[in-house]
Amino acid sequence: MASFSSSNGQEDQVLVEEKSFARTLILNRPEQLNAATDYMISRFLELLLLYEKDSNVKLVIVKGKGRAFSAGGDVTSAVHDINSGKWKSVAIFFRKNYTLHYLIATYSKPQVSIMNGIVMGGGAGCSTHGSFRVATENSVFSMPETALGLFPDVGASYFLSRLPGHFGEYLGLTGARLDGAEMLACGLATHFVPSAKLPSLEAALHTVDSSDQAVISAIIGEYSELPMLKEQSAYHRLDVINRCFSRRTVEDILSALEREATNKVDGWILASIQSLKKASPTSLKISLRSIREGRLQGVGQCLVREYRMVCHVIRGEVSKDFVEVLQLIRRLLYSLI
Amino acid sequence: MMDQALWRAWVIKNHLTLDPSPQTRSLSGAPCLDYSLLELIEPASFDIAAMRALLDGHNVPERDWLFGLMTQSKLFNPRRVGSRVFVAPDYNQSMEQQRELTMRRIKFLLEKGVVDGWLTRGTVEEELRKFALQEVADIYDHSLAIKLGVHFFLWGGAIQFFGTERHHVKWLRDTENYVVKGCFAMTELGHGSNVRGIETVTTYDPRTEDFIINTPCESAQKYWIGGAANHATHTVAFSQLNINGINQGVHAFIVQIRDADGNICPNIRIADCGHKIGLNGVDNGRIWFDNVRIPRENLLNSVADVSPDGEYLSAIKDPDQRFAAFLAPLTAGRVSLAVSAIYSAKIGLAITIRYALSRRAFSVAPNQPEVLLLDYPSHQRRLLPLLAKTYAMSFSANHLKMIYVKRTPELNKTIHILSSAFKASFTWHNMRTLQECREACGGQGLKTENRVGHLKGEKDVQSTFEGDNNVLMQQISKTLFAEYLAARKRNEPFKGLGLEHMNGPCPVLPQQLPSTVLRGGQFQVDAFRVRERDLLNRFAEEILQRQARGERKEHALLSSYQLAEDLGRAFSDRCVLQNFVEVEENSPAGSLRDMLALLRSMYSLTCMEEDASFLRYGYLSTENAAAVRKEVAKLCSELRPHSLALVNSFGIPDAFLSPIAFNWVEANSWSSVQH
Repeated sequence: MASFSSSNGQEDQVLVEEKSFARTLILNRPEQLNAATDYMISRFLELLLLYEKDSNVKLVIVKGKGRAFSAGGDVTSAVHDINSGKWKSVAIFFRKNYTLHYLIATYSKPQVSIMNGIVMGGGAGCSTHGSFRVATENSVFSMPETALGLFPDVGASYFLSRLPGHFGEYLGLTGARLDGAEMLACGLATHFVPSAKLPSLEAALHTVDSSDQAVISAIIGEYSELPMLKEQSAYHRLDVINRCFSRRTVEDILSALEREATNKVDGWILASIQSLKKASPTSLKISLRSIREGRLQGVGQCLVREYRMVCHVIRGEVSKDFVEVLQLIRRLLYSLI
Repeated sequence: MMDQALWRAWVIKNHLTLDPSPQTRSLSGAPCLDYSLLELIEPASFDIAAMRALLDGHNVPERDWLFGLMTQSKLFNPRRVGSRVFVAPDYNQSMEQQRELTMRRIKFLLEKGVVDGWLTRGTVEEELRKFALQEVADIYDHSLAIKLGVHFFLWGGAIQFFGTERHHVKWLRDTENYVVKGCFAMTELGHGSNVRGIETVTTYDPRTEDFIINTPCESAQKYWIGGAANHATHTVAFSQLNINGINQGVHAFIVQIRDADGNICPNIRIADCGHKIGLNGVDNGRIWFDNVRIPRENLLNSVADVSPDGEYLSAIKDPDQRFAAFLAPLTAGRVSLAVSAIYSAKIGLAITIRYALSRRAFSVAPNQPEVLLLDYPSHQRRLLPLLAKTYAMSFSANHLKMIYVKRTPELNKTIHILSSAFKASFTWHNMRTLQECREACGGQGLKTENRVGHLKGEKDVQSTFEGDNNVLMQQISKTLFAEYLAARKRNEPFKGLGLEHMNGPCPVLPQQLPSTVLRGGQFQVDAFRVRERDLLNRFAEEILQRQARGERKEHALLSSYQLAEDLGRAFSDRCVLQNFVEVEENSPAGSLRDMLALLRSMYSLTCMEEDASFLRYGYLSTENAAAVRKEVAKLCSELRPHSLALVNSFGIPDAFLSPIAFNWVEANSWSSVQH
């Protein structure tokens, strides 16, 4: 199998540690918050495929260097390609990305993702589909795509739609941020471990000699805690979220939120209304429908459908919002040079 | 004594001299059954989404929205089985608990805006949306659909169609918001199908301007009144109306039976119908009226009225016509029933065919893996014709819905006969399909969780309520006979009900029936028309002959029940085939249309194979009948590779099927057991 050794030091973007039967993949672009490049996705995919066949590997651990797990896909290269009309190479990147997520979702060996920091967009794709997701007090989760003219992809229509009630619609449309405790409460994380205990947890995981999920769960369980949700957490108001985000259309959701805002001025309600008003309207509608269709589909079907959708988006066919956002980013980058 | 000892010695000798020759077959266990994702092994050859759009007919996004709402709410009892989640009521709960939960689920739907505008927005689009959402509720739980149906379609429908402006203003909004909870008191202990014979009696008191409703004897008690036992506050009570000593026939009155706090009103007695073989989420009750006084305005007066001083007024002088005008609006119930039966058959087939694509039994050659159930020709023959029939009936159900929502007074007769024919045929088809599916799933079909067997008890009532199927089928032949007489008497051609083909020459069926001919749409339509035409002629002749011999017409009709049965079936089959051909011809050429053609042939030829009329009256020779049978077997093997795609096109989300439709080994594994 061709290996992705490259000439410009890309190998460092993904570090690998081998300890007994465990393999740890470390996303290593801390200055860019571990935003995933094409190389990183390819390397990740290559390694996972290798490990699946290797009987000496029982467990895969994934983590990020620095203060992020991963902030998502690196859009800077996409910017150039889309503007020069080369949307196909961007599509290929997305396809590879989703293939990786599908592999993670259907992987035959357990994967433990240690989300000790920012987990956004593509970062969620590389972790949430895995068998074990460990959140810490540093975790920040978000699917911010609607603000960018995109939609929550990376299989989010699968995992968001399966969160309790209509919490998934809330996260996907507003791009709301969750902390580690909230991630555990809603099921995005399977365990919560204080960051101070992470080294011991990893050491314990390195002693694993079987792929038995129950064994690994028990090990992580020993370092886990049940943190309290913060008082203003939106998760306390699941009844209101369900009432609003179960409405049939985006317009209905917005009016339901505005009605709630007249009764009770919860911070998160106002923030949600603001996010919805600032987001791309087309994105909101596409996202809502995507999550709702994903609710009734398997993870493979969701990813296939999202790939089709993202191709339309990057071609600017349905709406120019995403393309404009990328142009904006490009101008910003150039202005910083 | 000696023999016993010798025998004993012989036995012991055998123990000691056991031949230690090696076994020719080693005791290696068969490899553990491996479940593979069906969709990977059996890819679709046509566009499943497009097929679903054809089958559902309308409002696909609304259906998915309601599926999603129910999936996400704990109230609908999501259960994790292995790695999947299924959503179904807990039928192991007591009758009281099931009834409570059904009401709570209705409240949930109310809160989510599912039933908004069901009574107050009268557009065609709204009616279709209503149908769609009720169909989805029905896929989840028949009790839920029935409770919704009783409140909105029966109580609400009665207000809409039997009532006038003042009733609409007073009751419709409160009904939509569940401020009042309605039920429909027509059936009595002694009278179900024969509505005209009900014994509840209402008189009028001009001094107080009240009607007085009374249950004069035990057989007059209202029975099977859904909603009455626990929850309903109001009912539409059907009763004979006696004005000034003259019985003016059956009329409908609004009666309050409970106050807002749930206490039964004075002069009303209510009892429970008790536990049933299914539908225990519906609180069926019995009602006695003890000279209950209701205001004059409570008479639903769209067809007839009583003036304040007690004079009976009606624009329709003939009591038969008046009664018919009364009952016409209740057709909505028959329409939705026909559709409900088909969705139930779809659930059964989706589960059973998926199971048959993963379950193996027996090998046909030594050292070969066991064979998939659906690879057996006999298993195919049991299920695939039912699948084709379900497709055919689904298209007809949609056609009926469309005619109904766009109804005009001229179409009343057509709607009445079609809804009767389809309600009877489709509900019977559903029960037959469910039984076959239950058997095809073996022991797994006995688990309530697997839905297939449980649906039998839930849907069984469909063949007798809203009109007993046998009575309905007889009405069809009566109507066709009346058409026959009218056409003959006026010397005019047949018009309407699709009978125009009777005006032309009788089609001649070919002597030779090779495969190409058998699968041709024209041959199939001709064959059905020949049968219908001949049976109608025979039936009419039989009645007329009996009448000529001095028999009364009613007696003649009863005696000719065998021909009536055959004719009713012939009419229904022919209508279904006609609708199928229309759908097929309206589809653009391609793989979808080819699939429809295959299914159409399977439908027609199976009907021909199964109906003895074709041989009995000689529409087919014995050789031709054999050729038809052979062709059915051939069609089974041709449909087999498409079975998965065909059931996936039903659009029923995984969570509403059952564990045996997926990885049933994992679903039953030790780790899936709730400890």
